Amino acid sequence: MSFGALVGISIAVLGLGGISGFYLPFLRLPLSIQALGSFGIGVAGLAIFATGSSTGASFTNAFHPRFGVDPLSGLFLAMLSIVATPVLIFSKGYYDSSIRSRAIVVMNCAFILALIMVICARDPVSLLGGWELMTVIPAAMILVAHDREAKARRSVWVYLGVTHIGGAGTWIAILLMAHAGAIGGHVVMQSGSALQIAVALAALVGLGTKAGLMPFHIWLPRAHPIAPAPVSALMSGVMIKISIYLLIRILIDWIGPLPTWIGILVLALGALSSVAGVTYAIFEHELKRLLAMHSIENIGIITLGIGACLLLRSNSEMLWASFALGAALFHSMNHAIFKSLLFMGAGTFERYIGALNIDHLGGLLRRLPIAGGCFLVGSMAIAGLPPLNGFASEWLTIQSLVHLSRFGSFIDSISGAIALALLATTAALAVFCFVKVIGLVLLGSARTHDPPASRLPSRSMDISVGFLALCCVILGAIPGVVFTRMASIAPWNLEVRSRLELHLPTTGSLPTLWIVGVLACLTAIFLLLRGHSSAELAPTWICGQDQSPRLRWTSAGFSKPLKMTLETILRPTREIAFSERGSITQKVAYSGHLPHHFETHIYAPIHRLMLAVANTMRRMQSGSLSTYVFYLIGLVLAALLAVHVGLVR
Amino acid sequence: MSSYSVISGIIQLVGGILLCPLLPGLIQKVKAILQGRQGPDIFQPYRELRRLWGKSTVKVEGTTFIYQLAPSIACAVMVMAVLIVPISNVSPSWGIGHDAFLLVGIIALGRFFMIGAAWDTQNGFGLMGASRDGTISIFAEAALVLSLTACALESGSSDLRVIIQSSAGGGDWASPVLPLALMAFCLVALAEVGRQPIDNPDTHLELTMIHEGPLLEYAGRDLAYLQWNASARHWVVLTLMVEVFLPHAKSTLLQLVALPVELIILCIVIATIETVIVKMRVLVVPRLLGIGTLTALMAIVAWKMAL
Repeated sequence: MSFGALVGISIAVLGLGGISGFYLPFLRLPLSIQALGSFGIGVAGLAIFATGSSTGASFTNAFHPRFGVDPLSGLFLAMLSIVATPVLIFSKGYYDSSIRSRAIVVMNCAFILALIMVICARDPVSLLGGWELMTVIPAAMILVAHDREAKARRSVWVYLGVTHIGGAGTWIAILLMAHAGAIGGHVVMQSGSALQIAVALAALVGLGTKAGLMPFHIWLPRAHPIAPAPVSALMSGVMIKISIYLLIRILIDWIGPLPTWIGILVLALGALSSVAGVTYAIFEHELKRLLAMHSIENIGIITLGIGACLLLRSNSEMLWASFALGAALFHSMNHAIFKSLLFMGAGTFERYIGALNIDHLGGLLRRLPIAGGCFLVGSMAIAGLPPLNGFASEWLTIQSLVHLSRFGSFIDSISGAIALALLATTAALAVFCFVKVIGLVLLGSARTHDPPASRLPSRSMDISVGFLALCCVILGAIPGVVFTRMASIAPWNLEVRSRLELHLPTTGSLPTLWIVGVLACLTAIFLLLRGHSSAELAPTWICGQDQSPRLRWTSAGFSKPLKMTLETILRPTREIAFSERGSITQKVAYSGHLPHHFETHIYAPIHRLMLAVANTMRRMQSGSLSTYVFYLIGLVLAALLAVHVGLVR
Repeated sequence: MSSYSVISGIIQLVGGILLCPLLPGLIQKVKAILQGRQGPDIFQPYRELRRLWGKSTVKVEGTTFIYQLAPSIACAVMVMAVLIVPISNVSPSWGIGHDAFLLVGIIALGRFFMIGAAWDTQNGFGLMGASRDGTISIFAEAALVLSLTACALESGSSDLRVIIQSSAGGGDWASPVLPLALMAFCLVALAEVGRQPIDNPDTHLELTMIHEGPLLEYAGRDLAYLQWNASARHWVVLTLMVEVFLPHAKSTLLQLVALPVELIILCIVIATIETVIVKMRVLVVPRLLGIGTLTALMAIVAWKMAL
């Protein structure tokens, strides 16, 4: 059986699962069928990626629907499957069988199909069609999940507004390319031509908006957290990666070598997103919103890899350009895995505790050992700690930037060095952020009473997070199996020798298997030497006071030194209100707020301007028919006059 | 494997794991002399380790396995760091290699678990230290990565042995690249070993301490591990400075002979700095490290301009 047939059959099974969910009054069977279909797609995608073969149609500029899979599409199908399969299994335990949940599950299937459609599309029409479906379906799912909440409706509105205004860039880029015949790289654009630059910039704005790249990101921290956890996992894990897929297609595959300033622009956007994304994440208090901000950070790291690839290519360092592309693809894969793991972990906690304010969670590692343990693994992976997969891909990105500094022209080289400093800062900030998250959410004793046992996660939920945690460990131990193929995927066809571990010629190597082994052995030795404690349990020393959850450290307290250090940049506001009676303070109320600069300085002025323009325009709209007839006749008259005078031919 | 490799390996293991407590011992002794005291002799850290080894560890209410695991992980990580930092251009690879950025990552792993342990015990003083440690490390990491990069550019390899090999001899010191990288690394080194003016390891006033904070809830062998950990950190950072950032000879023999001499000199320098300079406010430290980052960036610019 060819891989193409397997893809087709799997999509049919997936669709069948979705349709059966429409008719059956329960969820388990439809979700199992969908998971099976999704698994098949992953197997086929991985096989196509690994063998480097292609199936189905190739790219066309004509407006006829065509579908096919090549190695890059295969990789993203595998990425989709590695997230979607656990998400579907997780959904079995997460949703109840109410009509609302069933509607969400059916739409979830449509969402996965839309993602597959974009990945497999080989012509502009189905590409853009899938692209729009991919944007609209999650909005519908969020609206179904929160139909009575004005705040959620507003967030969905912002999401649709921003992604459509910004997403217009995607349409412009794709249609310009289709017009020039450049889709599929059939026509090589002249480097630095106006058309090429227009396509590149339109793609950056359009795809950057959908990927959540700063400064186009403002929809992301609004829309991702309010979706149900499995949907958030798909959105953060896969949907924003589809933009990365198209960005790689357009900037690297199709429009030929770009002028260096575009590469530097990509690098700058990546660096901005990574540092600012993680910095704002540290000061978030809601777990899913915090994770959404981290998606911006990781998209930034991926974009750094793409930028390094573009610049290394323009400096004719093809081997290192391949590695940089491989680093970007590998980080996309890793982020898909650990981010969906973290979102599903957050979903488990949300169901169990009922809220997700990180200052109110705590002690979950004892109460939910499997979900908590997997969440710990995911946190370490996203923080870029060895020996997990996040470290492997960040190490590769660092190496790419070091070699950009080494080989690039003066300006490229300094841009690379600055990006490197910012990436190092980002990594340290991510460690800071996630140690705070696990400290507040998982560690210590509980801050609330135990919820009823009925809210404990079901086995299918534990299995899916466990699978993803295992993927983090395996890809951390043998990153070479996927990375070497990813580095060979570039259009300039350099074959990179396949290995289990990471080895880059001339520079150092990362013997990941040894690192895992040595770390595990040494820890075991130290634990054995330490022996067991004979002491009685004793409370923590807090100067003899009673242990009270109210005296515990909060997220705000832990991040205070950082906030004070960055005060001039972040400009936090705070209010302290004392209420006194007879010169005795009765109550002290504290509230702190961290304004997001992009919203206050970029979006708010545009927003105000648009409202002012709309206000002026409103005066023209009286609502009475005669006024509109008046406008219409006036317009026709003006047109006639214009033709007569010769303004218009 | 040459005989120098074997000797390097033996010195690396014996020095980094067994002799490293001598470094803080020496610093304390020199400080005492500079302050006009007699002070304990340089073997005092060993006595403390022996005392702690015989005592029981404690169990803290409400903690998870992270609290018990953290000291062992921190030590495992530090042993790996000792193995990663080569003491000559022919140090054995130990399987895990000598990658500079792996060193940065592995140190971050230890920090993650120590800060996690502070959260686990919910001790306010521990968390105060942990949050400061985390904040400072954000700025230190950028300076560390850039200064390592400045050294790695010449050979194009992030393998520390290759870096030692390529920057050996006095020739490279004619250009400002390595001196600038050294300046940047000096600031990082003070932050990483937790010495004044950034941290004061002698203080036991909870409100001022940084690295000592998360240690408060530990006792017995756990505490012994963590004290050894602090000593080994001195070894790792100072060896890195001697072998990579300071001028070093081309011959392996000279590199090996110079190491103990330079380590002693560096300890005396640290002791002098600690005696002369007062500890700075925590919030001023990031600015100091920011200077380090820019200096390292200047080293890269200088390297590029010389090309």
